[in-house]
Amino acid sequence: MTVIQISNLRKTFTTKRKAAGLGGSLRSIFRPERRVTEAVRGITFGLQAGERLGLIGPNGAGKSTTIKMLTGILFPTDGEASVLGYIPWKERRQLAYHIGTVFGQRPQLWYHLPAIDTFQLFGKIYELEDKAIKQRIGFLAEAFEIEDLLETPVRKLSLGQRMRCEIAASLIHRPKLLLLDEPSIGLDVVAKQRIRDTIRRMNEVEGVSVLLTSHDAGDLEALCKRVIIINHGQIVYQDRVSNLKRHYLTTKEVGVRYAQRIPGNFAMENVNILKVGKYGVKLGFNTSEIPADVVLARLAEKGDLVDITISDPSLEEVIANIYQEVEEAQA
Amino acid sequence: MKKYWAIFKTQVINSLAYPTEIMWRSMAILIFLWVFTFLWRVAFDNSSTTILAGLTLHDTLWYLMLAETIELSRPRFANTIAQSVKDGSIAYLLCKPYDFLLYQLSVNAGDTVFRLILTFIFGSALIWRMVGAPPDIWGWPLTLIAFSFGWLINFCLTALIGLAAFVVEEVTPFTWIYQKLIFILGGMMIPIDFYPPWLQNISKALPFSYVMYGPARLFVSPDLERFATLLAGQLAWVAVLGVLVSVAYRRGLRRLAINGG
Repeated sequence: MTVIQISNLRKTFTTKRKAAGLGGSLRSIFRPERRVTEAVRGITFGLQAGERLGLIGPNGAGKSTTIKMLTGILFPTDGEASVLGYIPWKERRQLAYHIGTVFGQRPQLWYHLPAIDTFQLFGKIYELEDKAIKQRIGFLAEAFEIEDLLETPVRKLSLGQRMRCEIAASLIHRPKLLLLDEPSIGLDVVAKQRIRDTIRRMNEVEGVSVLLTSHDAGDLEALCKRVIIINHGQIVYQDRVSNLKRHYLTTKEVGVRYAQRIPGNFAMENVNILKVGKYGVKLGFNTSEIPADVVLARLAEKGDLVDITISDPSLEEVIANIYQEVEEAQA
Repeated sequence: MKKYWAIFKTQVINSLAYPTEIMWRSMAILIFLWVFTFLWRVAFDNSSTTILAGLTLHDTLWYLMLAETIELSRPRFANTIAQSVKDGSIAYLLCKPYDFLLYQLSVNAGDTVFRLILTFIFGSALIWRMVGAPPDIWGWPLTLIAFSFGWLINFCLTALIGLAAFVVEEVTPFTWIYQKLIFILGGMMIPIDFYPPWLQNISKALPFSYVMYGPARLFVSPDLERFATLLAGQLAWVAVLGVLVSVAYRRGLRRLAINGG
């Protein structure tokens, strides 16, 4: 079943431009200069039921604008969208019963009240029975490990604790689709990992489809099966995360350390020497050009190895490469 | 309807998050009324009669007590809407399955309850001490009804200003102008009866007097005929403004650009 289908979606904003300083401000009063910003420039993609899709891209790429059009709170300038069979901006309220949303940078929980009050309020807003609300809160509290936090005023929670409550709140009505806009923003590594785990678990247990935006490649790696990379309002790459890795992660870096000083020459065909020290060396190579065991065997011939590290370039570097490739292709 | 009741209740609880703050804010009425008492005493002392424009000093001060209570407990959410447009949190308010305007209505009604009760108690206590017992108790329920419809008119006008934020973002100038209109044409500073006839006519034709002057005047001179006329006017304004607000909301939504990220 298709959960989201959008085709050629566009959104342009008109913003007032103002030159710097007092003079600029005065001029903009009398002769406002308007600029049309194309935030989303013809995006087409689909999301199947139960999928976890990541929309990734740098700040200002048009990720959030796309999510907001999918929830129906922004009207697109052009294009079509169907979310769970609804046209979001025409049937926003009907759609709202079936989707959950989390905007990582804004709170939806009532700030001064304990989270449980907001949970109960949301239950009422989604027209659930009292008993069902209670059961659901119990279930979510356990799944998100927030039993002990529910009765603390939200303002006293840490960001990580609050985010877990925020996401739990957005699932109170068992939505079929969860839209997460930068759910891990500002969190530390441990909190990020916890959030990713719970999102993945809810997807596996309840079958909720997940669309998330992020500019953190870690979210993608840990959470998504498929990825769409957007930049300047356009899709620049889309594929399965595993393909992305296979395609772009064929380069390896090998570092070795020897028991004694090695004056030797490390030059090999198809291998880049990244760093040479007195006791060690770091090499980079592409496994499609030279197998890793060949490289390692040659390094072992040079002396007694004390330590070996083999690493992949990070997904961040991969994505940076893709941006660069696209920009070069456009230029 | 149940969801709006839940929203109302949640906001009532929310408004009690800082009990001392709400106490002190409600006590602000004491300062205003204390000053008013001295001003109006001088005005009445310097005239040769005890009734000015159909009101005694006792009437005038109880009138001002109620008018001040309405002013101080009246929700000022235009800036809240503007703020949520500016910082983007409006996104959450719009993606839940309720009517945005009824949501605002429920939240602001919930916010009014305790401020209204406390301000009324503090204000009454002071004026009772200054000029004696309050007006006839049988007029109170009528006043409460008139107050509720006046509250709705204020809600619609404030919502219109707030929705302007969908287009212009900054609405403080409009709220400022609205407040001055309520002060003067709504009869908050001076009961409208003291105005020259032409200004009285203008004031009574505009919605501002239905928020403040109408209920406050009914409070000091309860009378069924006055109540009926007032209610008819209030209903007409609620109908007109209600339509305007929902049209403005629908139009505004199309133009809304949400800031941030």
